[in-house]
Amino acid sequence: MNKILVTGMGIISAIGVGKAATVQSLLDGKSGIGSIKYLKTKHIELPVGEVQCDDEELKAIAGYTSSKPITRTSLLGRVALKEALEEANINLCRPRKLAFISGTTVGGMEKSELYYHDFLNNDAHNEYIAMHDCGACTDMIGKQYEGKFDIVTTISTACSSAANAAILGANLIKAGYVDAAIVGGTECLSKFHLNGFNTLMILDKEECKPFDKNRQGLNLGEGAAYLVIESEESVQRRNVKPLCELSGYGNACDAFHQTASSATGEGACKAMAKALEMSGLNSGDIDYINAHGTGTGNNDESEGAAIMRIFGDKIPPVSSTKSFTGHTTSAAGGVESVISVLAMINDFIPNNLNFSEKIDSLSFSPVKECIRNVKLSHVMTNSFGFGGNDSSCILSKL
Amino acid sequence: MDIFIQAASQISTQEPLSEQWFDSPVFSEKILNESIDPDFKLYIPVMVARRMGKLMKRAIVTSVDVLKKCELTGDSLEAVITGTGLGCIENTEHFLNAVLDNDETCLQPTYFIQSTHNTISSQIALFIKCHGYNTTYSHRGTSFDACVLDAFVQMKLGMISNALVGGHDEMTPAYFTLLQKVGYWKDAPLTEESFHSANTAGSISGNASLAMVLTNKETFDALCKIKAVEMLYMPSIDEIKAKTNAILQANGMKLADVDAVVMGFSGDKDNDEVYKNIVLQITQNIPAMCYKHIFGESFCSSAYGVYVAATAIARKKVPAHLLYSSKDEIRNPRNILVYNHFHNIDHSIILLSCLD
Repeated sequence: MNKILVTGMGIISAIGVGKAATVQSLLDGKSGIGSIKYLKTKHIELPVGEVQCDDEELKAIAGYTSSKPITRTSLLGRVALKEALEEANINLCRPRKLAFISGTTVGGMEKSELYYHDFLNNDAHNEYIAMHDCGACTDMIGKQYEGKFDIVTTISTACSSAANAAILGANLIKAGYVDAAIVGGTECLSKFHLNGFNTLMILDKEECKPFDKNRQGLNLGEGAAYLVIESEESVQRRNVKPLCELSGYGNACDAFHQTASSATGEGACKAMAKALEMSGLNSGDIDYINAHGTGTGNNDESEGAAIMRIFGDKIPPVSSTKSFTGHTTSAAGGVESVISVLAMINDFIPNNLNFSEKIDSLSFSPVKECIRNVKLSHVMTNSFGFGGNDSSCILSKL
Repeated sequence: MDIFIQAASQISTQEPLSEQWFDSPVFSEKILNESIDPDFKLYIPVMVARRMGKLMKRAIVTSVDVLKKCELTGDSLEAVITGTGLGCIENTEHFLNAVLDNDETCLQPTYFIQSTHNTISSQIALFIKCHGYNTTYSHRGTSFDACVLDAFVQMKLGMISNALVGGHDEMTPAYFTLLQKVGYWKDAPLTEESFHSANTAGSISGNASLAMVLTNKETFDALCKIKAVEMLYMPSIDEIKAKTNAILQANGMKLADVDAVVMGFSGDKDNDEVYKNIVLQITQNIPAMCYKHIFGESFCSSAYGVYVAATAIARKKVPAHLLYSSKDEIRNPRNILVYNHFHNIDHSIILLSCLD
């Protein structure tokens, strides 16, 4: 009786609001990457994975009726959290103890960058000052459920934040701190991030091509996704139907470079190996890998090398759904875990868009066409962040 | 299985990498306080340090110093867990200003690279070559507390046997100005005598750079045991009371066994009111300790709450200057409860005990 079960999920990204729209886009091969519509930036030449709603529309979806200002990151989080809680039936029958652990890096930056000169020079937008930090963003999502959460915290490990939220949540359940945890992340597009990635020269000016020999970089995305994970005992007591099991997870540090991964994928290997060890599975048991696959020269080669080291000559189907959503950074671990479970439940493997030619040093190509009617028992999803913060999670069918 | 704080190292407004504050603390009569830095080049090669901001250097130096005390290396260390409310905010401001001032053109990546919150934890791992578990908590005033909880839980589950846990934050002049607009800081400095009696809004700003090693192996020279770590979200006073009782009961203790309670009295009226209520309703006659009058307020200042409690247990006394109300030093404190809250939203309770 110590399985960690998934009982609810919520998602919002460039490919849709909610799980149904997300599955439809994936099955239809419909990418959400396109021209910038909402973010105020001069870099309109850069394609992004933008959620197709302005803040007012997001407020309506999230049921946010307060006149108090709120950041876009928090609004995205509220939308995903609402869907996850509804599916897990939290309102009808609460777990005894519940944690909310959210990953973010941007936090309130998208508002700070709009009003920073006002912050310094006048008092026109002071209400956004205390919303800037990561924790404030989580708090603005969590405090609507006053009295419901027992532990609330924020993880900020860049692009692996949401995966590390899942790891803490699962550990808190195993140690008996809580019966259930809502884990994931949220991140909106910001001028700060777009320009930051642009200075690193890792943004593709066209739609990204993960695992392609001629890949030119990533497309930034935005979104939020949360999973409700729960102890077996709580699932039985609440009489809810679990979707799948979080059977293994691992976190390791590449300790190689602040923004580059080691050629051999040291941290990635260790994270995947730890996840496999915890799950008690062999590498041959994994039916699909939802790769980190950003589309940068460095990541895909390094991650590919790590996958080859772990899986040898029996590499399962691999795809990067960042070719649909863009790189949702701190939310990516959540977005891609939810996509992995959706694939498992709906018996399909999403394809890796825009692929045409294999990377020379890799022995495998990603999935080119969506594979339907396939039974997936175990799916691995990778999330790697700046600074070599590498995490890997395994989701298993019950 | 018991979990221990093996050692700690700090850089703050007090003498760096030292416990001098315990015997002769310095009281600053400023609102924005700078840390006293050690000679960084004794710890970090000049070429490497050149690319690091002050906060990053402090994080590296405190980490290296505490690991040395514990004879741990990148190979034997199993986890690096860092709390930071703002990350390397100095770099964030640099890059943000450049984006705005240059209208998104002619930007250099360096400040962006160093701006993400996890830069600290990953640079520590890079510096000591540690491939173990690595994560970063950025949750306002309980960022450090979450690190302790994470390490504690993983040790209880047998996933790790040691961890470097840190709390690192800096207050830049610009961010100080912004937070001043929304009531974080006092308008005028306080004297040592008036610190706890001012009864006005705002507190005194400080920086936090504190690194600790937690381990599940007892050695004769550990500072103390960590018996319990709990976090609460928007709790009522009754829930704080129930959690306190549950912690004590689980450890076979009564309230009378607690020698002191550490609280984050900051001089801010609303902040202090919450602690006063905990004293009134829960801890009553147990002497209350304070620390923000000498270390200042920051998102990671709670790290100093744990640190002063651990140091007091290890040094077998609570000196009078750490006491909030009574002025009689406490001899041989065996058990200390550490309460922390941020805006009465996020709370934590940590129980520390002496070695057997």
